[in-house]
Amino acid sequence: MSHEAHSIAVRASGVDMFFGTPDNQVVALKQADFEARRGELIMLVGPSGCGKTTLLSVIAGTLTPQAGTVEVFGQRLDGLGQEELTAFRRKNLGFVFQSFNLIPTLSVIENVMVPLLIQGRPYDEARARSLSIIDKVGLKGREDGRPNALSGGQQQRVAIARALVHEPPLLICDEPTSALDKDTGAHIMQLVRDLSRSPERCVVVVTHDHRIFRFADRIAEMEDGRISRVVDDPKLLDTTHL
Amino acid sequence: MYRLALNMLFGDRAKLAMLLCGLAFSALLMAQQSSVFFGIMSWTYTPMVNIRAQVWVSDPMVEQVNDAKPLRDTDLGRVRSVDGVAWAAPLHTSFVQARMQDGNFKLITLVGIDADTFAGAPAVLTQGRIEDHRLPDTVIVDEWGASLMGRMGVGPDGKPRSTPLKVGDTFEINDIQARIVGICKVKRAFTGGPFVYTTYDRAKGYTLGARRTLSFMLVEPQKGVTPAELCGRIERDTGLKAWTSDTVIWNWGERSLARNTFWWFWTNTGIPFSFGTAVLLGLFVGIAISGQTFYSFVLENLKYFAAIKAMGAGMGVIARMLFVQAFTAGLIGFGLGAGMAQAIGRAMIEKGMPPFVMFPQILWATFALVLGISFVSAIIGIIKVSRVDAASVFRG
Repeated sequence: MSHEAHSIAVRASGVDMFFGTPDNQVVALKQADFEARRGELIMLVGPSGCGKTTLLSVIAGTLTPQAGTVEVFGQRLDGLGQEELTAFRRKNLGFVFQSFNLIPTLSVIENVMVPLLIQGRPYDEARARSLSIIDKVGLKGREDGRPNALSGGQQQRVAIARALVHEPPLLICDEPTSALDKDTGAHIMQLVRDLSRSPERCVVVVTHDHRIFRFADRIAEMEDGRISRVVDDPKLLDTTHL
Repeated sequence: MYRLALNMLFGDRAKLAMLLCGLAFSALLMAQQSSVFFGIMSWTYTPMVNIRAQVWVSDPMVEQVNDAKPLRDTDLGRVRSVDGVAWAAPLHTSFVQARMQDGNFKLITLVGIDADTFAGAPAVLTQGRIEDHRLPDTVIVDEWGASLMGRMGVGPDGKPRSTPLKVGDTFEINDIQARIVGICKVKRAFTGGPFVYTTYDRAKGYTLGARRTLSFMLVEPQKGVTPAELCGRIERDTGLKAWTSDTVIWNWGERSLARNTFWWFWTNTGIPFSFGTAVLLGLFVGIAISGQTFYSFVLENLKYFAAIKAMGAGMGVIARMLFVQAFTAGLIGFGLGAGMAQAIGRAMIEKGMPPFVMFPQILWATFALVLGISFVSAIIGIIKVSRVDAASVFRG
C-alpha cells in the first residue's frame, strides 16, 4: 500500500444518490468523488441543495448510496447492512450537529456520556472520561446543569465534548457554527481544531459560513451533486454564492 | 443507557405526571371495580359463610343458596340414615315481612335453626345469650339488621335518627310477636335485609303453617368421611342434592354450593357485565391516556432518538430504553392506583358499604394489565422511532 493510500481516511467514488419516485426524481449526488486525509480538517462547502448534507450522510453511513463506493478508514460502507453500519458509526464516528441535539432532560455530563454508554462502557468509567473532556472544553463546574441553562456557544462545546469523548477517528460536523454569532463560531472552530487535531483523525465539516474557512486545511466545493474543486487556500474560493 | 432512559423520563415532569395519572387512574378503576365486584359476589353466598355446616342437603332442583325449594320433614330421617352421617339438622330460610313497633314494615331473612343442637346458629353474639333462644317467641337479630330495623326518633340536633334495636325490643312477624334475646355479628347478604334467627319449629309458626318448611339440611360427616364423599352417598341413597360448604373462592370444590351460587349470579344477572364494562373502561382509558402521552413523549424526543441512532445505538438498545421508561411509569402508576384503591376500600369497609374484597389475584391481574398498557405504549413509541431515519439529524 502506497503512503498516499495509507493516508486516506475517507474515499467516495462515483457516488449516486437519488430521492423521490422515478417520475419525480431529485438528484442529490451524481458521480460524486471525495477524499479526506488522516490528520486534516476538510470543509465541504457549496450553495444550498448542492448535496453537501447528502454526501455527509453517505460518509457517515446513515444513507446508503444507489451507486458508487464509500470507504472510511479502509472499511467499505456501501456493502454493509444496517446493523454493521450502526456498529461502524458507534466505533468510528463522532457527530456535531447544527442544532446541537443535546437531550434537554439530561444533564450536561449525561449528554456527553451517551456515546460511551452506547458502546457499553461502565457508567462510572463513562462519567470519569466525560468529566475530563468537559474540563477540556472549558465547562468545568457546569456538568450537572441542564443544557438549556447554557448559552448557544456553551451548548455547542458540550456537543463537541460528546462527539470526541469516545475518541472516534472520524469527526463529522454539520453546520457547527450556523446557530452562533461570529466570535462564538470562531471560538468553537478553534476548539474543534485544537481538540480534534491528531495524526490519525479526520474532521469533515459541512458549512455555509465562510468566516470559518480559515480553520480548514482544505476546502472541497460542491456544485450540482458533485465536488467541483478542492482548494488549500480559502481566498481562492468565490464565496458570493455560498 | 437505562439510567439515562430513566433520567429522560423523570426529567420531563409534566409528561411524567400526565403519564402516571393515566396509569394510576386506570389501575385504580380496574382494581377498585374488581374488588367491589368480588365483594358483591361474595354476598351472594353469605348464608354459606354465616351458617356453618360441612354438608348442605337440598332439593335436587336447587341451583343456588338463596333459592330454597322446600323439602318434606321426613327427608331429614332419610338423610340421617345414610351411612357416614354423624348428625343432620333442619334449616329453614325464607323472606318474610316484619312489622316494627312504629308500624313500618321490613323484609327480613328468617332463619330457623334446630333448637336442640343450635346447628347453624350465629357464631358471634354481641348482646344476649344463645340459650335464651329457647324461650318462647324469641329471635336473634344481626347487628346490621338491628340498625336497619331501628326505631326512628329525633336526635339532639333535631334531625331524624334511628336507634338500633337491642335485647328486649319486640316486633311482629305475621302478627306473631318476636322478642329479641340476642344481637349477632354475621356477614351481610346480597339482598341487604336483616337476618332474624329463630328455632326451626317457631319458624314454622312465623310462616303461618306453610306445608313444607324444610329448606336445607345441615349435615356433619362421621370421622374419616370427607364431605365430598358423604355428598355422593347422600345423593345416591336419597336422590336429594348434597353440597359441600367451601366458600374460599379460589379453592372451590366441584360440589360447592357457594360456587354454584356465584356462577348462578354470574350468568343470570347483569352484575358481571356492569363491572366488566367498568374494568374494560379502565383498561381503555389507561391505553388511551398513557399511550397518547407516551407517544407524545417519544415525538418530543424523536430528534434525540434519531441522534442516538446516528451515534450508533441499534434499535434493540432504543427499544429497551423505551421499555424501561414505559414499564417504570407502569410500575409507579400501578403502585399509586392500587394504593388509592386500597385506601378507598378501607374507607368503604369502615362505612360498611359497598362490599370490598381485594384478592391478591386482583392486584396481580391489575398489575399485569397495567404492564400490558405500558407494553402497548412502548410498542407505539418503538414503531415511531424505528421509522425515523438516522440521517434526519443532518436536516437541521
